[in-house]
Order: sequence, then structure tokens, then C-alpha cells
Amino acid sequence: MRTTVPVIVAFLSGFVMVVSFFFNPDRTFIGRAQDVVLQWVTIVSGFTLVLGVFSIVRVNGRAVVRRTEDWPFKLATVISVFAMAIPAMLPVSTTSVGGKIFYSILPQSWGSWFGTGTGSIYDWLFNFVDSPMMETMFAMLAFYIASAAYRAFRARSADATLLLLTAVIVMLWRVPMGEAFLRLFGDSIPDYLNTFIMNGFNVAVQRGIIIGAALGAASMSLRVMLGIERTYMGKG
Amino acid sequence: MGFWENIQHIDRRWIYLLVAIAVFFPMIVVMHFPIEITPEARQLYEAIDALPNGSVVMLTFDYYPSAMAETQPMSIAALRHMFSKDMKVLTLSNIPLGGPSIAERVTREIALEYDKVYGIDFVNLGYKANYVAVMHGLASSIESIFPSDYSGTPLRDLPMMKHVKNYRDIEFIFVVADNATVDYWISIVNAQYGKPVGSGVTAVVAPKMYSFVDAGQMTGLLGGMKGAAEYERMVDISGSAIRGMDAQSLVHLLVIFFVIVGNLGFFMSRGKDGR
Repeated sequence: MRTTVPVIVAFLSGFVMVVSFFFNPDRTFIGRAQDVVLQWVTIVSGFTLVLGVFSIVRVNGRAVVRRTEDWPFKLATVISVFAMAIPAMLPVSTTSVGGKIFYSILPQSWGSWFGTGTGSIYDWLFNFVDSPMMETMFAMLAFYIASAAYRAFRARSADATLLLLTAVIVMLWRVPMGEAFLRLFGDSIPDYLNTFIMNGFNVAVQRGIIIGAALGAASMSLRVMLGIERTYMGKG
Repeated sequence: MGFWENIQHIDRRWIYLLVAIAVFFPMIVVMHFPIEITPEARQLYEAIDALPNGSVVMLTFDYYPSAMAETQPMSIAALRHMFSKDMKVLTLSNIPLGGPSIAERVTREIALEYDKVYGIDFVNLGYKANYVAVMHGLASSIESIFPSDYSGTPLRDLPMMKHVKNYRDIEFIFVVADNATVDYWISIVNAQYGKPVGSGVTAVVAPKMYSFVDAGQMTGLLGGMKGAAEYERMVDISGSAIRGMDAQSLVHLLVIFFVIVGNLGFFMSRGKDGR
């Protein structure tokens, strides 16, 4: 039962999506069935977010209670989850869901702190805590990439040399200073690079990868629909 | 230990220091190198420019704050272009954290400059989970997927949304993204519903997108901060991408310098060892 029901649900969901693709949604029921399935997907996705929050609180909360290694960081994670989520979910005015009861207890002027709009707690935490932290982490990559380029990017073989030369040329071409430098050797060189490297070799390789990945995804979907692939149920 | 061996084992903090100098130097000395426009960026600009004034366009904010340096200037330049042509702009995000807030802040800031009114000239739909379902669902009814906007106002109360019901009412979709959602805008919205889609993506994502542009599935492409700078130049604004080009130029040249010196050290020390 625990295996059969998910396989039937997976088969029916996939089957409806595949079949309805070939029918006009304005004229046929099967064409419209795709919309119904997609609405269900959106609803189920909402529940997965709740499940994600539950999971992160359970895993980190347990570590805090047991005082395992780095527990203060895990406590910070749990506090952050609630600090972002709770003010964002509270009603912003009396017309919001549950707003009448909420603002019979608290002053209505507090409404601007809640929700996700400009000036809310969520907005403040996002703009002044989350966003700078994420940008800083990403900006630090420039330093690591420079160091890695110096230490690891070696012309050890013909393949590596080809990759290295292409990388250097594209890096030059993608910045105004490098482009100006390349134009010293001929006005059309940047255009040639765009045509031959980005629209030539690059496109050929990318198409191969995209088509390969699409075929892989199609075969995997078929395996899931037919119940051959069951790892999504935690089974091998 | 000889010179080339020393070069091979240089303390990485010197590298970090040189990168920091390359980033900060253009803040003191401004260098203006001409920004050439690539055909892909021009195609995107011309596609939007060719739309009649007052057209409804969708602008997505499918990016996290970490990629803002590259993607936010694209959004700003696109909004300036759209508002200058009195277009109605519908924004949304397929990213839970970042995109919706950035869309809200950036769109309202730019709208103020052009005297645009929320609900009449632009609407922010916000975020809904599962972008594949969202993209499909918007084809039949925007209101079924987003009953209310980002602030919780029901769509039926927004004047602009009285005439915008699904993709048929949208002329063009400009996707600004730092991840794989752009693939789905192509494979679902362009391929299945025939909507023209153009994109501005991070430099890491851009190479893959060339194949879509080449196939005619994508109408124009902005790649990384350089792409954003190109769009700013075409819209005739001096934004953060054009200003950032000097720092990016220097850092790119520095990385090339590191690659050359690193390889010289590698070959010279290998020659000495007789390998």
C-alpha cells in the first residue's frame, strides 16, 4: 500500500500532463485537466515549504537541546527562521485574515511592521541582514577565483591548454578594457570571437548538453511513471 | 629555493591584496573604456523598443541577492526603458527569498521617477512556489495562480489587472535570472505558449543561453554585468553596471596576469627539475 499508492499517483499525474499537452484546453476536458493537476502541484508545494521549516527546526532544535558542537549557530538558524517568518505572516491591517481579532489586542499602528511590504520587519531583515550577507559571500568568490587561477589553472596537457587559451580570450573579450586591447589587433576581432567562440563552439556543445539532459529527464520521468524508479520514496 | 619556485608558493594574501586594489582603484581613478554592444543585447533592446507604447510586459526578478551586482542593473535599465515608453509592467519572482522584495523596492523607486502609479502602471505579483506549475498556470489565468499581489491586494481590485488575464494579454517577457528558471521560461512559455522571451542572466548562466538565442527561441540576451552595461548604454543611463565595468576589467586582467605568471612558474620550475 505504501508503495502502490505513490506509484499510482505518480503515474496518473504524469499521464494527465503528457496527454493533455496534445489537447486544446479551451475545448476538451482532458486539455483542462493539466490546469487542475498544476493547481494541485502548487498546493502541495506550499505544504513542502511547511515541511521544510518543520524539518529545519526539528534538526537544529534537537542539536541545541543536546548542546552538540556549534549549537549556538544552530540556535541562530532557528531564531532566524522565526524572526523572518512570523512577522511576515502576521496580519497587516484589520482587513487581512485574522486582522480584526489581532488588532483588537494590539494597536493598529503596528501593522506597518508586519507582512512583507516596505518598512516591515521582514523587509528590514532582508535589506540589512540577509542581502548584505549573501552579497558578501558571493563577492568573496573573486578572491578565491583569483587565487585558484594562479595555483590550479595549468597548461598540463593539450586539452588544458586549449581550455586555458579560450578562457583567457573570452575574459579579455567580456570587459571593455580587454575589448579595446583586442581591437588593437583588428577592429573585427571581438565580433569574430562572439561569432566563433560563443555562437559557434559554445552553442554546439551547449546544445549537446541540453539535448542529452532532456533525454535523460524524459527517460527518468518514464521510469517514475512506470514505478521502476522508486528512490523518491526512499527506496532503492 | 629559486625565483620561480618562490613565485609558485607565493602567499595567497598577496593575491587577495592585489584583487582588492584592482577593485578599489577604479573608485579613485575613473577610466572610461567604450562599451561595445553585442548583437544579442541589441536584439533584446530593439525587441522591447519596437513594442507599441502602452504594451503590457512581464519583468521577472528570478535572482537571489548574491547576484544583485550583475542582475539588478539589468532590471533597473529594463524598467527605465519600459516606463519611458509608458508600458504596463507586471513583475513576479520564482525565487522565494530576494526576488519579490527586490522587485517591490526597485520597481517602486524607478516608478516614482516616471510618475507611474501602482495598480495602474505596474503590479508586483510576488512569489508562488513551484515555478513550473506557475508558468503553466499563468497561461490560463493569472488570478488563479496569484489571487492577490505581493502586498495582499486582490488582483480584481487593481485596474491594470482588469485587462491582463493571461499570457495572451502580455506582449513580451523579460526574464532576469541567476539560475535555471530561465530554461523553463523558454521550454514552457516560449515553446508551448509562443510568447517572446528575452533574458538578462549572470555571466555563469549566459553561455548556455546562446543556444536558445541562436535557435530563435530567445529574443536577445544580456550576459553578466557587461550585458547590463550594454543595456544601460542603449537606454542612455549611467548606472552601476557601467561604473562597475572598470573594476571588472582590472580584475579580469589581473586574473589573466595570474594565469600567465602561474604557468610560467610551473614550466620554469619543471624545466629545472628536468621533468
